[in-house]
Amino acid sequence: MTVQLRGRAEAVTIQWIPKYTFLERLGHWLHTATFVPLALTGMVLYFPFLRPLAQGEAGEFFRLVHRVAAVIFGLLPIVYYIFQPRRLLLHIREFLPRKEDIGWLKAAPAYYLLGKHEVMPPQGRFNAGEKLNGLVMMVTWAVFGLTGIPMWFGKGVIPPELFRWLVVFHDLAMIVAVCMFLVHLYLAVAHPLMWAGLVSMRFGVTSAEYAAEHHAKWYYGPKRAMEIWEEKKREAAHH
Amino acid sequence: MNGEKSRVNISRREFLGLSALGLGISLAGARPAVAASRAAAPDEVAILYDPVKCVGCKACQMACKRWNKLPNESTDPLGIYESPRGLSAITWNIIKLRRTDVGWHFFNYQCMHCTDAACVEVCPTGALHHDPMGFVALDRDLCNGCGYCTQFCPYGVPHLQVENALTGAAKSAKCTFCQDRLRAGIGGPSCAEVCPVGALQWGKRGELLEKARARVAELQAKGMNARIYGENEAGGLHRLSILLDEPEQYGLPSVPKTPGLARFWQRVVQPLGNVAFGAALAGILGVFLFVRRKIRMEEVR
Ligand code: HEM
Ligand code: SF4
Ligand code: SF4
Repeated sequence: MTVQLRGRAEAVTIQWIPKYTFLERLGHWLHTATFVPLALTGMVLYFPFLRPLAQGEAGEFFRLVHRVAAVIFGLLPIVYYIFQPRRLLLHIREFLPRKEDIGWLKAAPAYYLLGKHEVMPPQGRFNAGEKLNGLVMMVTWAVFGLTGIPMWFGKGVIPPELFRWLVVFHDLAMIVAVCMFLVHLYLAVAHPLMWAGLVSMRFGVTSAEYAAEHHAKWYYGPKRAMEIWEEKKREAAHH
Repeated sequence: MNGEKSRVNISRREFLGLSALGLGISLAGARPAVAASRAAAPDEVAILYDPVKCVGCKACQMACKRWNKLPNESTDPLGIYESPRGLSAITWNIIKLRRTDVGWHFFNYQCMHCTDAACVEVCPTGALHHDPMGFVALDRDLCNGCGYCTQFCPYGVPHLQVENALTGAAKSAKCTFCQDRLRAGIGGPSCAEVCPVGALQWGKRGELLEKARARVAELQAKGMNARIYGENEAGGLHRLSILLDEPEQYGLPSVPKTPGLARFWQRVVQPLGNVAFGAALAGILGVFLFVRRKIRMEEVR
């Protein structure tokens, strides 16, 4: 698929290639659509300045919304991977941390702050930052479930000593997940280099040129991507 | 962008603004200083229980039910003097038979009205709060049924009256020191008002402590291993007791531990979380401002 965008100066031609499946995108947005209300309704109990919202019937209502959203939030990945077992293997492979992720970390400041493309080593379909976001979301999903379910059904069943620690860990998971979410949100909607991310999560496609630049290992394959990268580095050293 | 100007990408004013934003969010969650660090004052109200005087007539238990309009509770008739088995959402005051190393005796259980109250610390609504008179009040209209109080109280006092376990609709319930009576100036807590032998008395905490000390000396002179419970426990309880043995023999903790964990949660974990939110938001906004000047969309492919 090729699209021409016309600006004042010249026409830009974008060639679109597929990046995410329909179910991947649906899963992503259902996760968002439950995570955000969960965070907001949870914060009603968390922030003292939201206390008026936590009181009486209002508080009962937000606690109910939290539970309804929690059911979808909790079942979502399970249902998704039952229907997409091969994606499970693919995602595990894509999201596992690797030694080369350190290269991303070293290059990240110059890349994200100054827009220096050339310092960033080739990345897969998910770059190391996206992998970090994904891992945090997976780990906190498990912590939310493991603490939240006994907080829901466990009063009077589990020892209070245990319950007390569960609430503390539910809060810790929330703090970590919300901070990660804020960074993710900024990069997705407001960072100029990441412009194609939102497009691909909405429509499933990305620009070929963008993919070659930002996700070279996925676009060219790991071997070819490294060759191109080495070549570029040699050239730069030459000049 | 040219020369001098482009070196400074974030102006001092912006930097100060961002720092203020971060600090503001960090502090937004700060709790109003709760009473936890204050000591119980002598002119606050309290109840004193003396198990040696107690004859186990349960008038207190009945008076509590009657005044607070609490329904009967069915219990299994096992020939035990205790009925029902313990405190619940509809039983806020109970006489139990305890077997300690020094023999059988009665003991009255109700809310301890702690100065350093774990329930108040964790309650997200303010439904549980310190009444200026000294006791720990519960305003049920404000309660949303989260049940944190039931899990953090070191004495297992508050219980949820559960309407629906799935939706979580519930209300907390516990002894309120007959807050409505005290606030209306009708009198003291019904349990203490009704006690025919003066085993439960109410009054100013300072005066009750004096009485308790005198009584302990008297009992010790008779060779009993008497002591006061509640003078300093959990910041000082507003339900003082005379014990004839170790607190554990009565199912009471020698050192009520929970307030520490409740405070760790509310005053360490949550404020650190707010600092993290503040830092994240201010950092992101700073990066946003910086990047907007550094990276031009037109040059991005
Ligand atoms: C499997 C998913 C989840 C379950 C089962 C769950 C369950 C619960 C339960 C039972 C409570 C206690 C309040 C009540 O009884 O209604 C609670 C509180 C809370 N939840 Fe969740 N939750 C889940 C996911 C999340 C997520 C994704 C977030 C935030 C991103 C979150 C943030 C909070 C917060 C902040 C509180 C209040 C804790 C406090 O009082 O400080 N929860 N949750
Ligand atoms: S005994 Fe429990 S319910 Fe009563 S004031 Fe102390 S912490 Fe709260
Ligand atoms: S159940 Fe009610 S009284 Fe108890 S902590 Fe929650 S809001 Fe407060």
